[in-house]
Amino acid sequence: MGRYVIRRLIQAIPVLIGATLLIFCIVFALPGDPVAALFGDKRPDAAVAEVLREQYHLNDPLLLQYWYYISGVLFRGDLGVNFAQVPVSEMLAGKFQVTLNLALTALVIEAVLGIGLGLWAALRRGKATDTFILASTLLLISVPTLVTGFVLQLVLGVQLKLWTGLDIFPVAGTFAGWRSYLLPGFVLAGVSVAYLTRLTRTSLVETLRADYIRTATAKGLSRRRVIGRHGLRNALIPLVTYLGADLGNLMGGAVITETIFNLQGIGNQLFTSVHLREQPVVVGIITILVLIYIVANLVVDLLYAVLDPRIRYE
Amino acid sequence: MEVGEPQKMLYPQDTTETEGAEVLAAVFSPLVRYDENKQPVEEAAESITTTDSKVWTIKLKSYTWHDGTPVKAEDYARAWNFAALQDNAMSSSYFFGRVDGYTDVHPGEGKTPTAKEMKGLKVVDDTTLEVTLSAPFSQFKTMLGYTAFYPLPASAIGSDGKLSPAYGEKPIGQGLFKLDKPYKKGTDPTIELSVYDKFPGKKPAGWTKLQFKVYTSSETAWNDLQAENLDIHDSLPATAISTAKQVLGDRYFDEPDASIGYIGVPLKYNKEFENVDVRKAISMAIDRKTISDTVFSGTRSPADDFINPAIPGYRQGACTACTYNPAEAKKLYESANGPKTIELGYNADGGHKEWIEAVANNLRANLGIEVTPKPFEKFQGILDALDAKEYKGLFRMGWSIDYPAAENYLTPIFGTGAIGTGSNYGGYSNKEFDELVAKGDQATDAAEGLKLYQQADDILIKELPYIPVYFYRSNFGHSTKVKNVKLNLLNQINWADVEKA
Repeated sequence: MGRYVIRRLIQAIPVLIGATLLIFCIVFALPGDPVAALFGDKRPDAAVAEVLREQYHLNDPLLLQYWYYISGVLFRGDLGVNFAQVPVSEMLAGKFQVTLNLALTALVIEAVLGIGLGLWAALRRGKATDTFILASTLLLISVPTLVTGFVLQLVLGVQLKLWTGLDIFPVAGTFAGWRSYLLPGFVLAGVSVAYLTRLTRTSLVETLRADYIRTATAKGLSRRRVIGRHGLRNALIPLVTYLGADLGNLMGGAVITETIFNLQGIGNQLFTSVHLREQPVVVGIITILVLIYIVANLVVDLLYAVLDPRIRYE
Repeated sequence: MEVGEPQKMLYPQDTTETEGAEVLAAVFSPLVRYDENKQPVEEAAESITTTDSKVWTIKLKSYTWHDGTPVKAEDYARAWNFAALQDNAMSSSYFFGRVDGYTDVHPGEGKTPTAKEMKGLKVVDDTTLEVTLSAPFSQFKTMLGYTAFYPLPASAIGSDGKLSPAYGEKPIGQGLFKLDKPYKKGTDPTIELSVYDKFPGKKPAGWTKLQFKVYTSSETAWNDLQAENLDIHDSLPATAISTAKQVLGDRYFDEPDASIGYIGVPLKYNKEFENVDVRKAISMAIDRKTISDTVFSGTRSPADDFINPAIPGYRQGACTACTYNPAEAKKLYESANGPKTIELGYNADGGHKEWIEAVANNLRANLGIEVTPKPFEKFQGILDALDAKEYKGLFRMGWSIDYPAAENYLTPIFGTGAIGTGSNYGGYSNKEFDELVAKGDQATDAAEGLKLYQQADDILIKELPYIPVYFYRSNFGHSTKVKNVKLNLLNQINWADVEKA
C-alpha cells in the first residue's frame, strides 16, 4: 500500500511539469502586451515600459522565461512576484485558504444534501417525493450559478436582514467566520448537489436490484441493515469518485461565486491574472490545482479499498 | 467605504489608477486641494507663488509624518526625483515632464540617465521648495493636488535604492489617517485606518476609524450597501441606478465625473476622414441623448464640449456638431462624399459593445452607409493595429484626467507632441492649436490661461479630430449611518466633512 502511494506521487512529477509548461505557453500566447495592460487606456511611457519588461524578463524567449520560473520554484521554492511586486506564494496562501474553506463547505453541503436526497428519492422510487426531487434537481441544473447567486444574495442576504434585522447570511466578504461561507457554499454546490442526487438515486436503485440484496433480505436482516450495510456501501463507490473529482472542480470553478460574494479567493485571482497575463500567478494557481486533483484522486482510489475489500492496490 | 483592489502596492508615485489613489488620498495630504469653485487652494502648502509661471516657490505648513517627525521640503524633492528617475519605472514619472532637468533623469527608451536628480528642484530650506520648469506652465499649481506629488519619508526607500515593500504595505504619510496595520494586497479584504492625532488640518467630527472594504464586483458592494453593511459606495453599477434612486432617496447622488468618451478618428492613417464635413456628419448622426439614457441607464450624459462639465472651462453646448441632427448629417455626408463603409473598433474587455453598436445603428440609419463594429480583445490591440497601419476604421477612446485642468483635455490627446509619446492616437496635428495651448501654458494668470485653452478648444470643436460622445457621471450613495458625503474634483471623498448620522 505504501509503495503504491509513493509510486503514484512520483508519477505526479511529469504531470506537474507538463501542466505548468502547457499553461505557461498558453498564457504566453495570449494576445496583448502585459505591460501595456497595466496602463489602461493611456500610452505607457516607453522608458518605463522598457524597464518593466526587463524586470519581468518579458523580452526573453518563452523557454528561457519558463526556465527562470521553474528553476525558482524547484531550487528556491519561490513562485516569483506578480506585476505589483507582491510575492506570489504569499498572495496565494491567503487566497487558497478562502477558496479551500469555500470548496470544503460546498463539498459538505453537496455530500449531505446530494446523498441524503438521492437516498430518499431511491427509497420512494416512483412516488410523488421521488418525482418532486427529480424535478427540483432538474431546475437546479438548468439555472445558472450567476442567477442563483444573485437571487439568494438579495433575498437571504439583503432582504432578510432588512425585514428581520438578523444578520444570518452575510452579503459579502469573510468577516462573519464560517457563516460567511454558507450561502456561497450552497450556491457553488448547487449544480453538483443536483448531479449527486441523481447519481445516488440511480446507483442505489441499481444496487437494490442486485442478487445479494435479495439474499440479505431473505436472510431476515432488517431493512435498515440491508440498505445501510449492503446497499449503500456498494452504491457509494461511484459517488466517492464523483465527490473526489468534484473537489478539484469546486476549487477551480469558484470564479463566479467568489465574485458575487466578494470572497478574495483564487477563482477571483485566476480571472484577474489571466486578464493581466501574469504568468507566475496563473501558473502558480494551476500548479496547486493540479496537485489538489492528484491528491484527491489518490484519496479516492484508496477509499475504494476501504469500501470494497476486493479492490486492493499493490 | 467601498474600494476596488489597488492595482499596485501603496506607493504614491506608482499609483495612477483611482482605487489606490483613493486609499492614498486618506493617508496623505496634498499640497493643494480643490475648493467648491473647483479652484486649487493650499492644503499642506502655506503658499505657492510664481511671477512668470516658470519658477514656482512652494512654502510648506508644519506637518508631521505619522511617526511624528516633521515633513521637510527635502521629502518632496526626494519623492519627485525618485518618481522621475527612469530606472525606477514609476508609472507617474511623466507628471514631472515639465520640470527642468527631467530629460536628464528620464532620457527615454534605450538611453541611460545622466543624472539622479532634476536640476529644476531646489530645496531652499526645510520649508521651502523651489521648482523651475523647463517652460512656463500656468496650471502647475492645479497639478500639485495629484497623488504623484505627495512627499516620501526617507524610510520609504530601502538601502538598495528601491521603495521598500514594507512601506508599500504600510505607507507612512502626513495626512488625516494613518494605517493601523500593513495592508497585504491581494489577501486582506479590508484596509484599516484611524485618524492621526497630530494632523494639523480639519478632522472629522465624532468618528476616528475608517475602513476600506475591497470589492471585486460593484454589484456586490451595492447589495452590501442596501443591507447597511457598507456605508459609502462611490461607483454604483449601471444595473443598480434605477433602483438606487428609489432605495436610497436623498442618499443617492448623481454628479459629473471628469472623464469623457469619444469616437476616435484615425486622421493620420486614413485619408477618407480628412474632410471635416465627414466628421461633422458622423457626429451629428449620433443620438447621444438616447445612448446616455438607455444604453448607460443615465450613468453618462451627452457630450457637448471637449472639456468635461466637472472641470472649470467647460461651456455648455459649445460643440454644435454634437447636437443630433440626422437630416443635416445625411446631407453633409453625401456632399462631402464620405466613405461608404466604416469600421468601428472597440476593446471587448471594457463593456463598450453596447454603445458602439448603438452608434453603429445610428450611422447606418442616418447616413445610409455600412457600419461594422470590430471588437479587439484589448485596447492595446487597437493601438497596435493603428501603429501598424492595418486598421483604418474609427475607434473607441476614453480619457480620464490626470489633474483637474482644462489643459489636460487638450495637450495629451490632441497636441502634436503627443503623437507617439502621449495619447494622441489619431495623429491630429494643428499648428494654431499647439500655439494657443502653449500660450495658455505661458500665461502668468490661471484665468488668463483658461481663456486661451478655450480658444484651443474652439479649434477642436470646429475640426472634430475626435468625436465626443459622452461624459461620465459619478453615481454614489451612502447608508443611513453617515451624512454630508461629498466628492471632490478627483472623485475622492472629503473625509473631514463626513459626519455620523
